[in-house]
Parts: sequence; structure tokens; C-alpha cells
Amino acid sequence: MVDFAAAGACPHVRGAGVDLQDVILALTRFWGERNCVIQQPYDLEVGAGTMHPETFLRVLGPEPYRVAYVQPSRRPADARFGENPFRFGKHLQLQVILKPSPVDVQDVYLDSLRALGIDPGEHDVRFEEDNWESPTLGAWGVGWQVLLDGMEITQFTYFQQAGGVDLRPIAAELTYGLERIAMFLQRQHDGFAMRWGGGLTYGQVRHRDEVELSRYAFQVADVEVLRRHFEDWEGEARRCLEQEDPLVIPALEAALKMSHLFNLLEARGAISVTERVGLIARVRRQAVGCARAYLAQREALGWPLLEGEVRP
Amino acid sequence: MSGQKFLLELLCEEIPANALAPAAQELATGLTERLHQEGFSEARCEFFGYTSRRLAVALVGLPARQPDRSEEVLGPPVRAAFAADGSPTAAALGFARGQGVEVEALRVVEGPRGEVVAVTRLIRGEPTPAVLARAVEAVVPSLHFPKAMRWGAGEHTFVRPLHRVVALCGAEALTEVVPLTLFGVRAGSVTLGHRVAHPGPVELRGIAGVGDYLQRLREAGVVVDPGERHQALGATAASLAAQVGCTVRRDEALMAEHVDLLEFPGLVRGAIPVSALVLPEEVLVTTLRHHQKCLVLESEGHVAPHFLAVMDRPDDPRGLVREGNEWVVGARLADAAFFFAQDRRRSLADHAQGLARVQFHQKLGSYAEKAGAVVALARWLAAASGAGVRPEEVEAAASLARADLVTGTVGEFPELQGVMGGIYARLDGHPEAVWRAIYDHYRPAGLEGELPAGMLGALVGVADRLDTLAGMFAVGEIPSGSKDPFALRRAALAVIRLGAEVPLAVDLRAALARAVAGRASHAAGREAEVIRQLADFLRERERFYLTSRVGVTGEVADGVLEARWGVVPEDVARARALEAVRQEPVFAQLALTFKRVRNILAKGERGEGGAGALVEPAELALQQALEGVAAEVEGALGAGDHAAGLRALAALAAPLDRFFVDVMVMCEDPALRQARLGLLARLEGVFLRLADLSRLGGATA
Repeated sequence: MVDFAAAGACPHVRGAGVDLQDVILALTRFWGERNCVIQQPYDLEVGAGTMHPETFLRVLGPEPYRVAYVQPSRRPADARFGENPFRFGKHLQLQVILKPSPVDVQDVYLDSLRALGIDPGEHDVRFEEDNWESPTLGAWGVGWQVLLDGMEITQFTYFQQAGGVDLRPIAAELTYGLERIAMFLQRQHDGFAMRWGGGLTYGQVRHRDEVELSRYAFQVADVEVLRRHFEDWEGEARRCLEQEDPLVIPALEAALKMSHLFNLLEARGAISVTERVGLIARVRRQAVGCARAYLAQREALGWPLLEGEVRP
Repeated sequence: MSGQKFLLELLCEEIPANALAPAAQELATGLTERLHQEGFSEARCEFFGYTSRRLAVALVGLPARQPDRSEEVLGPPVRAAFAADGSPTAAALGFARGQGVEVEALRVVEGPRGEVVAVTRLIRGEPTPAVLARAVEAVVPSLHFPKAMRWGAGEHTFVRPLHRVVALCGAEALTEVVPLTLFGVRAGSVTLGHRVAHPGPVELRGIAGVGDYLQRLREAGVVVDPGERHQALGATAASLAAQVGCTVRRDEALMAEHVDLLEFPGLVRGAIPVSALVLPEEVLVTTLRHHQKCLVLESEGHVAPHFLAVMDRPDDPRGLVREGNEWVVGARLADAAFFFAQDRRRSLADHAQGLARVQFHQKLGSYAEKAGAVVALARWLAAASGAGVRPEEVEAAASLARADLVTGTVGEFPELQGVMGGIYARLDGHPEAVWRAIYDHYRPAGLEGELPAGMLGALVGVADRLDTLAGMFAVGEIPSGSKDPFALRRAALAVIRLGAEVPLAVDLRAALARAVAGRASHAAGREAEVIRQLADFLRERERFYLTSRVGVTGEVADGVLEARWGVVPEDVARARALEAVRQEPVFAQLALTFKRVRNILAKGERGEGGAGALVEPAELALQQALEGVAAEVEGALGAGDHAAGLRALAALAAPLDRFFVDVMVMCEDPALRQARLGLLARLEGVFLRLADLSRLGGATA
């Protein structure tokens, strides 16, 4: 390992007072004060905050919605046994959905950086094209990665489609990479040495689960069991959607389980290139079904969150 | 400058870099053309520019008011418009009323289908602002972008949300706002300065023209002219480098990308941690350049411990931008160092064991299987080409060529495949020929790009690609139309380029048969078919190479390849020679007569009669000339002088002409006919040692 502390690359430690939990608290408060529902993480394994029904479903249809929440996100293939100080199999995202996207969304975003003690007037803030696509969710969007002094800190996306459905109005999605932001603010090169809060480091709080989740994903997970469960949950998703009054949330949860099982199988090296496409299509089919069922359900309810007469 | 001027600025959220320049250009030409159609014949574009957030166009030469135009409107046929007594019918009256004129104003003109009544209508010109508004509202929404989007309520589609439009016109000064609306945004006279350096409004009403506009925006932290940004970046980069005794490694592509990503061209210099300099330069450069878009500094030909990061602002008041970039670069390099150190725990040969677990193709098996096939093929190529490489080095390079695919560094930096394997082989103590061959056997990437530095790299590169082609063709993964998911066209082209430019004097037809044999189990029973398809494919790529890189015409390439193909350097030499001589008049004539020869022989009857049966003076003369020419052609081929060989053929033009005048080939006497066909067949054979001249222009009749 190269010893960067000794190299003196970053002699001045600034923002030293900002713990990971300070970042979470500041952003949560900021968005709460801007009329967002402060939601909680979804209580299932998901690959990204986008899969939370508060994003995946709420962006559909004409009803406005504003929400913010932290979502632990699982990427089993990115895990590194807790040995790589920059790579985690599970990391934290702070997800914000603003629907419809406000005219001044970029300015409000810059204000959120000020809430973290980052004055854009003293930094280089860039919005570089970075479009987003999720084949498993049948979703895509157009937007940027936001770079702060060369560091990618946020994914900024105008959702165009979700569950295979064209969206209108359009939602803006902001996804803050919380570990990265905290490491950057603490000028800390070792993610596990980053201060979490309460006097503890990220490593003290999380290192052991990174080791164990890596071992499970790469070495221990039983491929046959995972495959079987993939099939099982596909069946459950289908059954939920086939109900006379379709069960949208249980169906989506089943689809999310399929997605996570797929990620585990992939980390385990059990999926060939050609099989991959087919499995993704099977998850997408259920996600698309959920999206359609959700829209039908909300329409039947008369789009309850729609104000005034602005009905489609 | 007479006439009116017009300035248009669209202020958007950040527009993707690759869309900017084409869009600004399209906006400028689209508006100018549109105004020409509106009768603004003097309108021309004085300036167009852009930043990451704006598109700007300035036009001059506009009239104060659109000129009046007259237009002829055609009405009903004369016979329907007037009754027998010459009085207007209801049709004529209706037409006149519809056009707002008296019936007396109708004239008779010749229409496309006979005589019709017509009226000349005067179209009053509109005020220039109204015409400009209409033009902008038509041109902007139809601009082409690689990817468009919707936002907010979702009712508009554009490259990014539009925030402000400045549209000003005037004669001396730009004083009048052009009344237009784009995507619900009304045009005005106020734009915004740089997002963080000068976030306030900038009033543009009353400016004299483009010069003022550029100056006001410069003062607001925005450089609208991309050329000016480019120049400023270059100058600042050079001076920041000079301060630490370095030079900037030339990188036009990255520079051009940066120009498009900015409103203001700023740069900061940062330090690379000394400890990271233990990383191979290739890893350093890839991290800096590809992952952080930093400019690399050099001193004495080596990467210096500094980098330049581009920033969209003029200054770095508290040093935070430099510090942040140093932190990110340090983190990226530490990450790379982590993978590098992990990879180095094992030898490259050890990593190669892992290839058995990586699938090359579902039907073709793992990369370990591929390595086996490549080793065998490389050995054969080495022997066939007489390249004088050591067999054990061929074996080592070919078996380790792809081993870096399972290393962590290549997993993170796929663009370093080959390069990392070469570095690890070097560190493992392999001979230079071997590690270099691994290092650059992926070269060349296509028609452009460097060749491998050594013969061994070229051999391994050809072997690897031929094996890929043979395997893919054997399992039916044959490119068609735009579908070429395995980039087989590029692979085949690289094989041709290597053959031509290294050069490799090996017969590709034999080599590809060998390659297919190496994947025989996948082509069982269809080997001949697979070989034929693959041969056609390679030959087609060779034709492309000859026409695009060697620069010969299509008919020359066809003439050369039709005769024979496969030993690429030889094919190229024949093509160059034919291209050089084909303009000589004798070859046009020869092309025609040779076409005739081929037509006669193509009818199927092949002569084998003894030459002794020949009787006519013309055929005896041809026979004699042919013997001399055949010897000359062989001599020229032996000496590698293909142009001389072709010129030798020219000596046959006259005797061949006389032959066709005096001699009837398909005569009654079977022995004589056989003898004459035999003579022509021998002549054809001599020609085809060089080229099928019947492919040349004028011979197609």
C-alpha cells in the first residue's frame, strides 16, 4: 500500500468537524425544511435508493411528491472484504425526489451544499453529463454527475421513464454519495477511518459486516438456493399482480428480492453473459407490472395527491 | 455595416459537451438559411459561440423591414372560369373573392395543366423583429441533439431545461427585444453571469454588437468564444507547468473536451503524492487522464509529480479547489495502488490459471481454451512467416497474452488490458520480447493507432484475432449490417494492417484454414463452409484497407484481389504498382482485350491442345510474345518489381489485338480450337500472376 498520509498530499485538514452523521443530519434537515417528506430507508436489500417505492412508484403518474431519505444500498460485486479503503459492498445514499422538478432545482441543490458548509463560491462545482439507466426497473433518465473540486458527490437525474412508462410530470432525483462526501470533507483517504459520529469510525461501526457480506457474496452463498428463491419470488410477484385487486407493494417487494438475488448470483460468478440479459428481463417484467398496477390503483383512487383541477 | 443586427443567447442548464459545437453550428446555419427564405438575402452570421450553459449567435445584414414580395396564386382553369360569352363564372368570382381582389384583376397564365386564371398578390413585408421571432421559434425546437429530455410539467423537449433567452436587435445598438417565446420562456434583454463567480443578472440592452456582448460576459466570468477558451487554457497550462520546470503532455482530445465543459477556462496545479510515483506510468496516466480528466505534466520525458486540473472559474481564493483535487487524485491513485499491490502478490503465470474460470464465449469456452488455440496458431504463424522469433518466447507470450483480464487493475481500468499484462510480465522477469508482445498485442485498435513495437507482439496479435474470427464464424456469430457485437470487422482489419505494415509475409488463406482447424470441434462437418465465409470476410476487409489506407481505387483493389490474395504485403505492392501504371493508355486497351479473353474462357471450354496445332501467323506471334513476357513477369515478380511486371504485359497488347482480328478461336476444327483455347488460358495465367486487368474501368462493357 502507498502511504499517502506520509506523502503529505493533503496537509490541511479542513471540515474536520463534519462527521458522517452530521452530513446525514444536515441534508435531512435541509430537505425537510424544503417541504419534503422525510422517509426512512426501505427495509429490504436494494441496489439503490431508486428502488425504494417512494421513488420508483411515486415518480409515476400526475401526482406531485417531494421526499428525502437515506437508503443503504447493496452492491455485492463491489465488496472487497473490507480490505480496500474506498470500496464497500453496502454504502449509504441520500435520495431526494422533487416532482415536478422545480425550475430552480440546480440553485436549491447548491444551497444544500451550503448547508454542509461547502460554499460553492469557493469551490469548483460542475455538472457533467451522466445519464442513468436501470434495465431491471425499465427506467432511464438524463442528467449529470455533480463534481466538487473533481470529486463526484451527487448523481442528478431528470427521470424520463420508469417501469417502461413515460413520465409526466418529470421528477428530479438527487442522489448524494454519503461516504464519499464525508471522506472528502474530512480529507480522509481511508473510508474505514472516516469518523461516523458518537466518537466512532466507519470501520468501528461497519468493518465486520463488510468482511462477512463479502465472504457470503463471493464464497459462501449457495447458488442453487439463490436460483430457487429467484424463481420463488418471481412466482410471488406474479401472483400478487394477478390478484383481482393487485397487491402493488408486495409485488414490488418480491421484484426487489429478485433483483438482490440476481446481484448476489452475479457477484458469485454464477451468471453467464447471455443468461444475464434473460434474468434482467425477468425482473423488469415484474417491475413493469408493478408500475402499471400502481398507476391503475392511483387512478381508481382519483389521484388523491393531486391538488385543484390539474387532473389529466 | 449597413442594416440591422441580431443577437440571440439561450441560457440552459449544463448541456452535454458533445452536443454543444454541432448545436451552435446548426443554430447559426439554420437561422441564416431561414432568414434567406424570408427574403433577408444579405443576412449572414457574424459570430456563433457556446459555453457549457449557453448557445449564442449574432447575425448582421438584416433590413429594417422585410421586403414586400409578390406571389402568383393559381386559380381554376380558364374553361371553368369563364362562360361561353366571356363572363366570369361562379368559380372565377369565388376565387377572386377568396383572394380579396375584384374579378377584373384576374389574369390568364399557363399553369402546369393548361391555362388557368391567376392573381398576383402583394405580400407586405413584416417588421424585422416579427420575422426574427418566427425564425427563432421554428429553428430552435428543431435542433438535433444526441439525447433530448423533458422537465417540470413535461410539456417541452430540449437538450436541457431552458432558463433564459436574450433576443435583441437594432441598427446602431441592440435596443429592441425580439418578441419571441421558447418552451414557455419569453425573450428579454438580461442574461446571467457565471454560476458562482458572478451569479447576478447582466443587462445587454443597448450594447453595440458582438464585441460588447463578449466583453460584458467576460466581465461576468463567462468566455463565450470556445476558441478564446481553448487558447487561454493552453497558455495557462503552459505557464503553470513552466513554474515547476515541466511541460504539458500534448492531449488535444482532452483539451477540446475541457473547452466544452466550461464557462470560464481556469486551471489549478496539484501535487501527486511522491509515494504514488512507484506506480507504473501507464497506471498513473490512466488514473489522471481517464478518471480525473487531468492534464499530465512531464519532465525529461517522464511523468512529473504534478497534474493540472481544469476548473470552471478564474481563481482558487482559498486553495480549496487545488486541495480538493489533490485529495481526489490521491484517493484514486491509492485505489489503483491497492489493486496493483494485490495483483503483484502473484505472478502473471499464476493469474493465467484463473483464465479457466472466465468465459470467452458461451459456445467457445473459457479464455484458457482460447489461450491454447492461440499458442498453437502463433507457433504456426511464426514458422510460416520465417520471422525468426524464438519458439519458447512465442509460447510464453501467447499463453500469457490475456492473463491480465483476471487482475484487479484491469478490472478497474479495462483500457489498460495488455499494458498491465506486459508490465507484470516485465516485473516477473520475462525477456523483453515477451513482455513487450503481451504489452501491445492489442495494437492496432483500427485503421489508426500504433502498431506493436516488435515482431512477436504482431504474431500474437494476429494469432489471437484469427482465433477469435475462426471461433466466432464457426459458431455462427457472423457480423451482418450494423450488427457486429464482437467487433470482428475491426479484428479482421487489424489482421490485414499488421500483415501489410509489420510486414508479415504469410498466406492468410492458409493461416485462417489453420485457425478454423484449431476450433474444429465447433465447425464439425462445416469446415469448408466456415473457411469460405471467413476468407470472403477477410478479403473484403483487405479491399477496404487497399482503398482507404493504401488509397487505390476500388477497381484496382478488385483487379489485384481477383487475381489472388492473402499474402498482404505482396497484395499491397501489386495494388500500388497497378495504381501507378493504370493511367497509361496501353492499359485501357489491354483491359478490354483481356476482358474478352476471360469471357471466352469463362464459357467453360478449357483448351489443352498442344501448341503444335497452331497455324495462323497472328497466333504464332502471340504465342512467341507470350513466352518472352511470361519469363519477364516471373523475373519482375522475383525481384519484387510489380510495376515492371505489369509493363511487361503491355508488350502483349498489339499481338493480342492482331490475334482477335485474324483468328477465329471457336473454329470448327476441334484440335485447332483446343490449341487456341490453350494459348488463351496460358495467357490468362500469366496476367493473373499480377492482376485481373479486366476489372479496370472501360472494361466493364
